[in-house]
Amino acid sequence: MAADCKSEAMATPPILEVRGLTLSYATRRLFGAPRATVVALQDISLELYEGQTLALVGPSGSGKSSLARCLVRLEQPRSGQIFYQGRNVLEMNRKTLKSTRREIQLIFQDSASALNSLLTIEQILAEPLVIHKVCPNSSEMAVRVRQLMDQVGLPQKWLSRRPLELSGGQRQRAAIARSLALRPKVLLLDEALSSLDLSTQGQIGNLLLDLRARHSMAYLWITHDLRFASLVADQVAVMDGGRIVRRVSHSELFTPTQQLGPGTLLSPSGSGETGDVSLVSLDK
Amino acid sequence: MWRFARRTVYGILIVATVSVFTFVLLSAAPGNFFDELRLNPQISPETVKALAIQYGLDRPLPVRYEHWIMSAARGEFGYSLSYRCAVGSLLWWRARNTLLLAGLATLLAWAIAVPWGVLEALHRGGWVDRVGGIATTILITIPEVLIALLLLLFAARTGWFPTGGMAAANSASGASLKGFWDLAVHLTLPVAALVAGLTPVLVRHVRTAMVAALNSPFVDAARGHGIPKWRLVYRHAFPVAANALISFLGFSIGALLSMSLLVEIVLSWPGLGPLVLEAILARDVHVVMAVVMLSSVFLVTGNLLADTLLYCSDPRIRAIA
Repeated sequence: MAADCKSEAMATPPILEVRGLTLSYATRRLFGAPRATVVALQDISLELYEGQTLALVGPSGSGKSSLARCLVRLEQPRSGQIFYQGRNVLEMNRKTLKSTRREIQLIFQDSASALNSLLTIEQILAEPLVIHKVCPNSSEMAVRVRQLMDQVGLPQKWLSRRPLELSGGQRQRAAIARSLALRPKVLLLDEALSSLDLSTQGQIGNLLLDLRARHSMAYLWITHDLRFASLVADQVAVMDGGRIVRRVSHSELFTPTQQLGPGTLLSPSGSGETGDVSLVSLDK
Repeated sequence: MWRFARRTVYGILIVATVSVFTFVLLSAAPGNFFDELRLNPQISPETVKALAIQYGLDRPLPVRYEHWIMSAARGEFGYSLSYRCAVGSLLWWRARNTLLLAGLATLLAWAIAVPWGVLEALHRGGWVDRVGGIATTILITIPEVLIALLLLLFAARTGWFPTGGMAAANSASGASLKGFWDLAVHLTLPVAALVAGLTPVLVRHVRTAMVAALNSPFVDAARGHGIPKWRLVYRHAFPVAANALISFLGFSIGALLSMSLLVEIVLSWPGLGPLVLEAILARDVHVVMAVVMLSSVFLVTGNLLADTLLYCSDPRIRAIA
């Protein structure tokens, strides 16, 4: 079923396409003289199709989050191109970028710091709606905000609460609700579930898969948990040392020879030049 | 409400404790107001002793403190031996002048520092930040007294500004436009000296607080939602950065009286500065005591105000309370 959907989707052009993306950070000495250049991404290319879930896995520091930040232009890459529906995101003017950001949403790992703790959940959910003038009046906005709360399974009475008054799982739901407020076409989930307990992970994971099925959304799911990636993704791209070193499809992940235990993680393999990424099972 | 009442009670206790310590320390300092009279051969030791008895200096410390407390309750704050009058009558108009000068300088310094610090934070690492950083570093390294002296030199050489006082000898009353203009001209140099000293420190604080807020993941998340830059600043980053700034505002209100003393002395502003300097040199204990108490009250009030502002501005503090 997943394979059918995938092949169907791949017949159309990718909704998001990355070509030869390179990102580096220059560190400076005390008085501004350049000290070193840290290469975060090297020649990254990938495609994401409508309705597809691409899992991006890799050890810490492999460049997964940097890639996600580049895709919403929170970082400016040194070279390369990012196409959203055929338009280069890196060459967009402010107005076009604003409308594109409406359609590509990033969900951060740490919801406690990703939500403004001074605002109420209602204000947080309404903010993107106000900015993008989605609702013509305040009563419609209130309705939309309540719908979002229902969508992620949060009680409406918590709208007046602030992020720090919610648990980690509830905050993550609120963060997801905020991202869904603008009905995006692409969702970038940067370790969005990794800080949650297993049961909450399952609940929110199911919610996201359900939303994907209903709205044909495309997900770029960043995780370091291969087993989780194998459960949710149509395709897995493995990153190491700022490069994509391996790509496997959903069916390849389930070959009988490669049994992935719970909590199977990727360990850093060094430079990533060889394309080898070792699997480390926590069960050992 | 209870929180505010509790803090007020703590404040009163702090002021009371400061009064005890100040009184004890001033009394423990060697010598007194009449010691200089002893050097004068025309005044007999008996006369000096009689004067000391007349002004109650022979009484035990607790009794003298009790008298001072009763006098403070009447608003007199003791008796000035130099001026031969109640300290309260010397204090109030000078405190008003000092407050006018320091309050205006603080207001101006904040008005300059907030946009300057925000601008530096928004362009961190860029040329605006670098030029601003160099300017604040230069201003911080110059002592306030040197700035005041340079301004005095400037006023003396150009004749554009008066070199002291707060009104010209032939000036009209303060209520008229001419009187107001005269006061503004006299205020210019002392205010400029204070603003030059205070602004760079405030800019550094504003910049640091704003950079921390702008680097927060929630600001990244807001940018990712397409929220425009200026809305990010005033709706998201600045309210978070304001916490640290409000605490510093409380401190700067608390320092209102003490911050201008040196500048007042150099630029001859008739505030508390010259009065307290003369009182210290003459060992006019009650005047010194009154000025210290006034500073202490300002410090407590500033902190109380900052606490209240924080309570009003930050819902997280209200939740904890």
